[in-house]
Amino acid sequence: MNDSNTPAGAATVPLLEARGVTHRYGNVAALSGVDLQVMPGEVVGVVGANGAGKSTLVKILCGAVQPSSGQLLVNGEPVTFRSPKDSRQRGIEVVYQDLALATELSVADNIFLGRERRNGMLRVLDRPRMAREAEEALKSLAIEIHSVKARTGLLSGGQRQAVAVARAVLWGSNVLLLDEPTAALAVMESEKIGQLVKEVAKRRLGVVLVSHDLPQVHELCDRIVVLLRGRVVANLRRDEIDLQDIVMWITGAALAKK
Amino acid sequence: MTSPLKRDDGDVTAVTSREQEVALEAEDQRHAQERERGLARRRRIIEQLQGEGLVLVLIVVFVVMWASSQFFLTEQNLLTAASVVSVLGVMAVAETLLVIAGEIDISIGSVMAATSVLMGVMVGAGINVWLAAIIGLLFSGAVGVVNGVITVYFKINSLVTTLGTYSIFLGVAYAVSNTATTSIGGAGFEELGSGKIGPVPVPVFFFLGLWLIGLGVARWTALGRHIYATGDNFDAAVRAGIQANMLRMGLFIATALSAGLAGIITTSELGSAAPQIGDPYLLSVITAVILGGASLRGGRGTMLGTLVAVAILGVLQNGFALLQFSTYLEDTVLGSLLILAVLTDRLVRRAES
Repeated sequence: MNDSNTPAGAATVPLLEARGVTHRYGNVAALSGVDLQVMPGEVVGVVGANGAGKSTLVKILCGAVQPSSGQLLVNGEPVTFRSPKDSRQRGIEVVYQDLALATELSVADNIFLGRERRNGMLRVLDRPRMAREAEEALKSLAIEIHSVKARTGLLSGGQRQAVAVARAVLWGSNVLLLDEPTAALAVMESEKIGQLVKEVAKRRLGVVLVSHDLPQVHELCDRIVVLLRGRVVANLRRDEIDLQDIVMWITGAALAKK
Repeated sequence: MTSPLKRDDGDVTAVTSREQEVALEAEDQRHAQERERGLARRRRIIEQLQGEGLVLVLIVVFVVMWASSQFFLTEQNLLTAASVVSVLGVMAVAETLLVIAGEIDISIGSVMAATSVLMGVMVGAGINVWLAAIIGLLFSGAVGVVNGVITVYFKINSLVTTLGTYSIFLGVAYAVSNTATTSIGGAGFEELGSGKIGPVPVPVFFFLGLWLIGLGVARWTALGRHIYATGDNFDAAVRAGIQANMLRMGLFIATALSAGLAGIITTSELGSAAPQIGDPYLLSVITAVILGGASLRGGRGTMLGTLVAVAILGVLQNGFALLQFSTYLEDTVLGSLLILAVLTDRLVRRAES
C-alpha cells in the first residue's frame, strides 16, 4: 500500500535507530538488546503482550527513561537523551494514550503549549499568529474543529487525540512515537487516527506505533516488531504475514514451533 | 434539553458486523456533536452568570450600603474603604495565580504578622526602618521557599503544608512580641500605608499595580498559559516541557512575598508592629480568590473576577464598620460567601460533565 514510501535507490540512513538497548529495573530486565530502525516514511508497529517492554521502549526512545546500556542514533548520529526535551530538539514527538492536553485551554493554546509564539519587547503572546498556524496545521491534516479558540475540554476524545497528533506533526520533524493512541477511542475515531498516521508517513516522517489493536497495526504498519519478555522476537514485513502470524509471535507460539 | 447521552448499551453488544457498528458510531458522533454544542452553550450561560452575577452582587451590596448609610457614598469614605481592602487585594493577586496553578497558601495571615513583628524587633534594636522592611520582605520570601519545597518536592498537599506554616509563624510572632506592639515610624515610612498621591491612598496603588501585573501575566504571557496548564493537567504541562515544579515554587514565593508586603504596608499604616494584624486575612483573601471564580481544582480563574470580588469584600467590610455591626458577624458572612463560591464552582463543573 505504501509502496511510494519505501526508500528509493541508495541505502537511506534511519531517522531513528536503537542498537542493543537494554534496560533493567533492579534485577529485572525490561528490555534486553533491542534493535529498532525507523526509515523515512515508514510506519513501524511495536506489539507485544502486557509487560513485554513496549512502554519502556517508547520512554527510552523519547528520553523519559535512560537505558542501562545500548545506543540511540538520530539520522545515523549517536545521541543521548537526558529528558524528553532533548528528543524534541531532535524532532521526535510523542502522542500519549491519555490525551495529554490541558482541557481548560483552547486548541491553539494546547498546540503551542510550551512553545508559544511571542512578539514585541514584552514578549507577549502572539495570539493571531498561533491561531493561524494552528488552523493551518489542522487543515493540512484534514482535522475538522470548528474553532481553534474552542476550549479543548469541549471536544470529543477522538478530536482531542487528533489535536495531539496535529501538535506532534507540527513540531516533530523526524519521528512520531504513538503510544497506544487509540486505546481510549471508539472505532470510528480510531480509524480517523489511522488515516492521520498514513498522512504523516506520506510526509516522509517516521512513525512508531505501539498498539494493542492488531488489525489496525497490520493495516497501517510497513514493519511490525514483536516484543516478548523484553526481547525482539520478530521483525516482520507487513506483506509477509497475516494477523494470525502476529498473534503467534506475540504469544510465543511461533518460537515454540521452530 | 433531552439528553443525547442516553443510549441503550444493550443494543451495542447485540451488533456483530463492523458496518453496523460504524453506522452506530456515526450516530454516536452526531450525538456527541450535539452534546458538544449543548455544553458550549451551557458553559457560555454559566460563565455569564458567574461573571455578570458577581458584578450584580457588587452592585447590590453597593446599593444596599448607599441606602443604609448617608456616609457611604462620600469620596472620603470610598477612598478609605479602597485603602483598607487594598491590603487584602495585594495578597489576592498572587494567591489567584497560585490557586489557578492548583495550589493554595493559607499561611499568608501569619506571614504578615511575623514580618511585622520581625520589623518591630529590628527597629527596636536600632536598625533603619527601611532596611528592616527589606529584611522583612526577604524573610517572607524565605517562608515561600519553605512552603514551596515542602509542597512541591516532598509532594505534600499545600493546604496541609501552609496550615502548618500558618501555625508555626503565628506562634513565633506572638511569642517573640509577647503580644505587645512596637512603635515603628520615621524616615517617611508612614507614607507607605497612610500616605496619599493626590487624593488616593498609597496602598491602592500597590494593589492596582500588582493587579495590572497579574492581569498581564495571566492573559498575555506564555508564563500565564503555563500557570493555567499546570493547574489543569499537570502531566500534560510537564510533557509539554513546562518546568511545572519551578513554576509552583515561584508562585509560592510570590504569594509569600505579597503577604510580606501586606505586612509592611499594614505596619506602616498602624505605625506599629503587631502580631494581630494578619488575623483577618486567612479567610478573606481565600474568599476573595474563590469568589472571583478561581477553582480550587486549578486551571481556572481570572484577574477580573478577583478584582470584582475584592471590591465586594471592600464594600462589605466598610459597611460593617459604618453600620457598627459586630466584627464577629463579618467572619460569618465571609464564611458563607466562601461556601457559596465553592458550591457555585462545583455546580459549574457538574453542569459541564
